[in-house]
Amino acid sequence: MRVIAEGAEARIYAADILGIHAVAKRRERKSYRINQIDTGLRSQRTRVEARILGIAAAVGVDSPRPLLVHDCEIVMSDVGGTTLRSVLADNELDENAVARMMRAAGSNLGRLHHANIAHGDYTPANIVVAPRARLAVIDFGLSEVTQSIEAKAIDLLLMKRSVDPLRFSDFLNGYRSSFRGADKVIRRLLAIERRGRYKTRTLLVTDDAP
Amino acid sequence: MPVLGIESSAHTFGVGVVDNGKIIANEKSMYSIGTGGMVPGAVAEFHASNARSTISSALASSGASIKELEAVGYTRGPGLGPCLRVGLLAASTLAARLGVPLIPVNHGVAHIEVAKHVCRMRDPLALYVSGGNSQIVALSSSRPRRYTVYGETLDIGVGNMLDVFARSARLEPAWGSSVAKVARGGSYVEMPYTVKGMDFAFAGLLTKATSLLGGHSTKDVAYSLQETAFSMLCEATERAMLLTGRRELLTCGGVAQSSRLREMLGSMAASHHARFGVADNALNADNGAMIALVAEKIMRSGSGYGRTGINQRDRPDSVIVTW
Ligand SMILES: Nc1ncnc2c1ncn2[C@@H]1O[C@H](COP(=O)(O)OP(=O)(O)OP(=O)(O)O)[C@@H](O)[C@H]1O
Ligand SMILES: [Mg+2]
Repeated sequence: MRVIAEGAEARIYAADILGIHAVAKRRERKSYRINQIDTGLRSQRTRVEARILGIAAAVGVDSPRPLLVHDCEIVMSDVGGTTLRSVLADNELDENAVARMMRAAGSNLGRLHHANIAHGDYTPANIVVAPRARLAVIDFGLSEVTQSIEAKAIDLLLMKRSVDPLRFSDFLNGYRSSFRGADKVIRRLLAIERRGRYKTRTLLVTDDAP
Repeated sequence: MPVLGIESSAHTFGVGVVDNGKIIANEKSMYSIGTGGMVPGAVAEFHASNARSTISSALASSGASIKELEAVGYTRGPGLGPCLRVGLLAASTLAARLGVPLIPVNHGVAHIEVAKHVCRMRDPLALYVSGGNSQIVALSSSRPRRYTVYGETLDIGVGNMLDVFARSARLEPAWGSSVAKVARGGSYVEMPYTVKGMDFAFAGLLTKATSLLGGHSTKDVAYSLQETAFSMLCEATERAMLLTGRRELLTCGGVAQSSRLREMLGSMAASHHARFGVADNALNADNGAMIALVAEKIMRSGSGYGRTGINQRDRPDSVIVTW
């Protein structure tokens, strides 16, 4: 099979079947992890991804259709197009089109959060700009079904870190438009950022023994 | 002419001397934490009473005379306020007496820069892992250049997590190396694994591991905790490698002394045909040489030293890299 893309976790192969453009996403073994962690993680994420792909489509978020799940591999429909990340990297962009895409990316996340799905890696690398400027969301391996405000706020945090501020504000407008609980999650995002990373009072150390 | 650097952000009072990128002295006094944590006031007192002797022994082993010093660098942060203040006080007194510039240095940037320097890397992705910090960073290509944080811990630093676990398990001394020692030959017990893109979280893992301590052997719990934590770090770093397209990977900071973490990162880097590097343990532990090294770079770049003072939460991405 022909490899068409390579992510950090998985290889994507072309796998057309019965006239449907399909891709196979296979989570490869990671040599750095012990087997007990690696095997469990790969199959668990594959199952989660297949299940959530189903829910995403049902709540109106364009995403690949899962066709077959086996061990650490999912065969799913090919959504075509290129990632939003590579679209944004282009210097000669129509800013109106970008604003529209960022809003659409936001409203997709709003719909997922409304359905209590936290994506877990919601960055432009996992959003595909499909033909006719339709946006599809992919890569649900780190997702979870959860009511947690914190998990939803982390989705916002990851996106915020990946795009510049103006684009993020378009994104938030889209997010608010499709999700009534948006403000609560946005408030949590600000709280997470305020928490800072250096909050530990009695700092302990991990240098080797003297 | 040589530059002297003082590190005092946590338990170590370190003094290093660098001359033209060459480390010619690296001395330290270390506050011993035993099985407890550390009380900032007590550590600061320890630093204050060891400052003079550590500076003298660094100068003596460097072979340089105090009058030759061209500048004095010190750690601005992040770290414990009382400890940082002792370093600043010692450095500013020395600089004023010699009439040379006083140069503040970010602790995390110093860890990264010294590793980059000794590994002879040009533009690596860095996994900086210490007690309070766990970050994946690389220099931005846009100007002004800064270290961009691609991923980091969403709660506690990996080092802190290992230390707290070590205390709960009554390991002595209560830090990461003891966890590594007891973990040898353990078998895996299931642990929560939390990665969000290039970020990760350790609090849930710590809670679970601590709660298993009664029912399972310390060996098995320590082993599973360590394997899980390092796998998480490796996975997040791998995602950042692909995103940034870097061909060099380094790890630095106290936890970078772990041979298991090095082995895992090395294997991950090799699978992407990237070069992996790590500095000697003496440079991964807190030390003055890295502060001297960056102070010298800042001085040679000739573009100002930044505001003198301390900042307990000084972030690496707030530093403009002028060198
Ligand atoms: N259904 C699909 N249709 C079209 N292209 C796809 C599809 N699924 C994945 N791709 C392509 O493959 C790439 C990697 O996919 P994906 O993000 O699912 O893998 P991953 O390894 O989990 O990623 P990560 O690096 O975030 O861990 C995507 O960026 C996209 O270009
Ligand atoms: Mg992806």
